[in-house]
Amino acid sequence: MIVLELDRVSKTRGHGRRAVSALREVSLAVRSGELVLLEGPSGSGKTTLLGVAAGLLTPTCGGVRLAGRWLGALGQAERRALRATRVGFVFQRANLLARLSVAENVMLMGAIANGGHPTERREVLRLLAMLDVEPVADRKPRELSGGEEQRVAVARALVHHPAIVFADEPTGNLDGAAGRAVASALTVAARECGAAVLVATHDARLHPYASRRVRIEDGVLLPYTSLTPS
Amino acid sequence: MLRLIVRALRSRPGRFWMTVGGIAVCTVLVLALQATHRSVAASVRTYLGQPGMDLWVAPRGSDNFMRSSALLADGMADSLLSVDGVAAADPVARAFVTVKSARGHGPSVRRLALMGVGYRAPDGLGGPPMLAEGRAPSRRNDVVLDRAAAWRLGTAVGDTLWINGRGGIVTGLAEGTNLLATHLVFANLSAVAGMSGIRGRASFVIVRIAPDARTDVVAEAIRERFPALNVFARGEFLAANLREIGAGFLPVLSLIGLLGVLAAGSLIALLSHAVVEQSRAEIAVLLALGSSVRGIGTALIGEALLLAGIGFVTGFLMIRALDAALARWWPVVLLPVSPDGAAMVLTLFVMAGVVAALLPLLGLRRIDPLEAFRP
Repeated sequence: MIVLELDRVSKTRGHGRRAVSALREVSLAVRSGELVLLEGPSGSGKTTLLGVAAGLLTPTCGGVRLAGRWLGALGQAERRALRATRVGFVFQRANLLARLSVAENVMLMGAIANGGHPTERREVLRLLAMLDVEPVADRKPRELSGGEEQRVAVARALVHHPAIVFADEPTGNLDGAAGRAVASALTVAARECGAAVLVATHDARLHPYASRRVRIEDGVLLPYTSLTPS
Repeated sequence: MLRLIVRALRSRPGRFWMTVGGIAVCTVLVLALQATHRSVAASVRTYLGQPGMDLWVAPRGSDNFMRSSALLADGMADSLLSVDGVAAADPVARAFVTVKSARGHGPSVRRLALMGVGYRAPDGLGGPPMLAEGRAPSRRNDVVLDRAAAWRLGTAVGDTLWINGRGGIVTGLAEGTNLLATHLVFANLSAVAGMSGIRGRASFVIVRIAPDARTDVVAEAIRERFPALNVFARGEFLAANLREIGAGFLPVLSLIGLLGVLAAGSLIALLSHAVVEQSRAEIAVLLALGSSVRGIGTALIGEALLLAGIGFVTGFLMIRALDAALARWWPVVLLPVSPDGAAMVLTLFVMAGVVAALLPLLGLRRIDPLEAFRP
């Protein structure tokens, strides 16, 4: 099932002479259970594409369908609600909330998605165990390694059973083993949780984990895609 | 969820507790001002509300004991006794006097301007409401001094004082007679009238009505008989005096109190602003994840209310401790805090906290959730 569909999406930043085309007529579809790598050099438009696809940015033209809803037809509050319930995020920095424990960070996302009711701790621990970070459930983020932090961030992205997870350079700050652990976690998201996963990256270590790779340069999604067997 | 967001965005402990300290000091300031007024009003009530002082008779135009000039012939008291229903009528002379303590000379002499009250000591109406120590004046040179005034003058029962240049012996110390700006000193009517140059005159006549008489009926009878006089029932006269006290104190106290509340509000605004700035990255993440600005704003307002509440409670405990310390070591100023006054100040602080937190919240709308993507 197609979870994300971008239909000739363009995004221009700035006005007049300062206008910059960040995305140009980008079309892309991502299905449930797929892990798609969005590759390209810095400044090519990867993060902008994630922002537009997640409803954080409004495209200048073109349409975005996310979890079955055209974002252009939704108001700001509806987009926010859709993001809270159907979307998970993994950022380049884990961006865990420093004053909360690992488990509380994950529970908070559950609460945001469930109208204020945090996910049960038992379920959070099960998810953390699946990603191999259950032993650190009661620690503060500052006590974790970079790899552990990112796996907790993946847990946070999955706790509310999203239709899609957007990950922005999730392994950018990690060494080999930690990077592989995070890649495995994202694979869990796609294959065991059934979420679509769109990863903006230029980390070649992720290639073996991808269902598909697409490339973007100067805001243009290149016509070829490299399909690899899952 | 709110609890988790509040914890996630909590300000740094040092900053939080410094703000609590600032709010506590503002609380002490506002409650102290309120208590000061309350203390003076309580003294006025204690003196003027004494049992048996049922009617106050004054020259036309005089309606209060504290700040009006009033002179009657002291024989007026005897004339009033002929009115039906009047059980007793005693003249009271009121005059500001300069009191010096007799302990030493030169710079060591202590000097105070006090409100002298002359009455038919020791049993006449208008004497000291409560004696903390000693006895009421009986001889011409006996005086009873307000306890706080005695403390300021460094005198005790048995000491000699100079009142308007005449010697007097302190026979007792009174309570409920501290008006803060001044204090009451009681002596024989003739002594006060003599030292103030109003011999044969009184400021007011206080009337006690007979047990079977009605206050309003007696008051009306006096008015009919002496149309040039004002006659006030005790409650009416008390209200007029409290109004006078309020007119003198309240504008200044209200202004300073308002400044205290504004200072507390500014502290909360500063802290809320600092929290928004310090937690900008966390707020961007929360917004990207789908939190609403309203939810985050509610958490910040919760933090502001917590600050206002803890600051107020700390300040309240501080002023209670200060009141106890003052009563023991510097009994000139009393700071009795009333529950309703405290509740009013708490309400003001909570309102100031909410308003103060709302201003930095406007900055929340300028935080772009895309900031969460920044490496």
